[in-house]
Amino acid sequence: MNNTALILTYILPAIALFISYREKLCLEKDIIIGSIRAVIQLVLIGLALKFIFGINNAYLTSLILLIMIYNACIVAAQRGQGIAHVKAISFTAIFLSLFLTLGSLVLFNAINYTPSQVIPISGMVVGNSMVALGILYRNLISNFADRHDEIEVKLCLGASPHQAAQSLIRNSIKTAMVPTIDSMKTLGIVQLPGMMTGLILAGVAPETAIKYQIMVAFMLTGAITISSFTASYWAYRGFFTNKAQLISK
Amino acid sequence: MSIITLDKVGLLINNQHILQNITLTIEENTLIGIAGPSGSGKSSLLRLLNLLISPTSGTIFYHNKNIMDYNPMKLRQEIGYVLQKPYLFDGTVLDNLEYPYYLHGLKVDKEEIASFLEKVHIPLSYASKTRHELSGGEQQRIAFIRSLLIKPKVLLLDEITAALDENTTILLENFINDLHKHSQITVIFVTHNSSQLHRLAQKVIYIEKGQVNIFADTEKYFAAKENSNE
Repeated sequence: MNNTALILTYILPAIALFISYREKLCLEKDIIIGSIRAVIQLVLIGLALKFIFGINNAYLTSLILLIMIYNACIVAAQRGQGIAHVKAISFTAIFLSLFLTLGSLVLFNAINYTPSQVIPISGMVVGNSMVALGILYRNLISNFADRHDEIEVKLCLGASPHQAAQSLIRNSIKTAMVPTIDSMKTLGIVQLPGMMTGLILAGVAPETAIKYQIMVAFMLTGAITISSFTASYWAYRGFFTNKAQLISK
Repeated sequence: MSIITLDKVGLLINNQHILQNITLTIEENTLIGIAGPSGSGKSSLLRLLNLLISPTSGTIFYHNKNIMDYNPMKLRQEIGYVLQKPYLFDGTVLDNLEYPYYLHGLKVDKEEIASFLEKVHIPLSYASKTRHELSGGEQQRIAFIRSLLIKPKVLLLDEITAALDENTTILLENFINDLHKHSQITVIFVTHNSSQLHRLAQKVIYIEKGQVNIFADTEKYFAAKENSNE
C-alpha cells in the first residue's frame, strides 16, 4: 500500500465525522482525536518495534513482555476492585498464561523467540487474558453478592470456603472462557480474524495464514483457561476470612 | 455438663454494639429458647456460636475450648445452624439431602434420608422435586433435615417456624422434642412465639438491646415477665 492510498482512507472517518455532525451525535471531537491518536500511537509503536526487531535481543524482548503484562494487570485489576491482592493475582495469572502458552509454542518450534514473532503473539495472549480476567472478576463479585445465602448455608453445613464457592468459581471461569470458545467455533465462517487477515493482506498464502490462525486460536483458548483458572482459585479466598467466614462487602 | 460457655462476649459492628457483655453457660442436652424484640441481637448470637462471625470481645467456649481455636469447618459440623429463610440449592430435594454426605466424603444413606423425610411428613415422591415446586414450609422442613444429616451435637434454629402454619409448626416442634430426647442433642432456638417457648424450651434467654436480661428456666422466665408487666 502506498502512502497516498493510506491518506485517502481518511475519507472513511471523514464520513463518520459528517454523519455525526448531521445527526448531532456530538462525536466529532472524539472521532478527530481518536483518529489522530491512532495514527500517532501506531507510528510510534511501528518505530519502536522496528528498533526492537533490529536489536533482536532476548532480554529486551522479555522486558517488553513484562511491561505488557504489567499494563494488562493494571487494567484487569480495575475490573476487580474490592478483591484482595487483585493486582498480584492478575499479574501472576497473565504471566503464567503467557509463560506456558508462549513456552509451548517455542518448545514445539511453532515460533522462534525473536521479537518479530514473540511480541505480536504475546500481545494477543496478554490482551485476551486481560479481557477474560475483567469478565471473571465482575462475575465473581456479582456472584458472591447474589449468592450470599447459598454460600452461608454451605458453610453452615461444614463446607470449606473452597467447597462453598466451588460452583461460583466454575461459573465465573466458564463465563470468562465462553467468548473465546464461541469465537473459535465461528472462525472462518463468521469472521476472518485479524492475524489471518493481516497475513493474507501482506501477501502470505492463505494456507500458511490458516496455519498461524489455528495456532493462535488454540493458544488463546489455552491462555484464557490458564489465566481464568489461576485468578479464580486465588481470588475467591479474598471473599473469606481465615476463620472461613464470608466477608460481607 | 456445660457444652457452651460465653464469657463477657461482645459484638461491635460499624461502631454499634450488637451484643454486649454476655456471660452464660449452656448445659449439654438442653432445649434453650432465645426471645427478645426484633433487632435485639438474637440472630447475631446464633451466628457467633456457629462462628459465621467472630466476637469482637470476650470468649466463647465449646466443650471448654475457645471456639477460635477450633477448625471452623469441624466446629460447624458439630454446631449446625438452620437459617430463618430456608435456602435450597439448585437441583432436586434429593440433591440437597445428599449434599452433606458428599461434602464430608460419606456414603449416601438413602434409608436415613427416607426416615427423616417421613418424620417431617414429606412424601418420598418429593425427592425428585426442585425448590420451585415446593411451598415455603416444605422448603423449611427440607433445609431442617439437611442440617441434621451432618449429625450436629448442637442445633441452632433461627425462627425456623416463623413462616409456617400451625400444624407444620407443631409437627416440627414434636420432631425437635423427639430429637432432643433420643439423640441427646442440644437445641438453641430463636423465636418470637411465646407459646412455642412454653411448649419447647427448658430454659429461656431473653435479650434486649444486645444484653441478656433474663436467663432462667422457662417457668421462672414467664413468672419474671408477668411480674415485670404488672
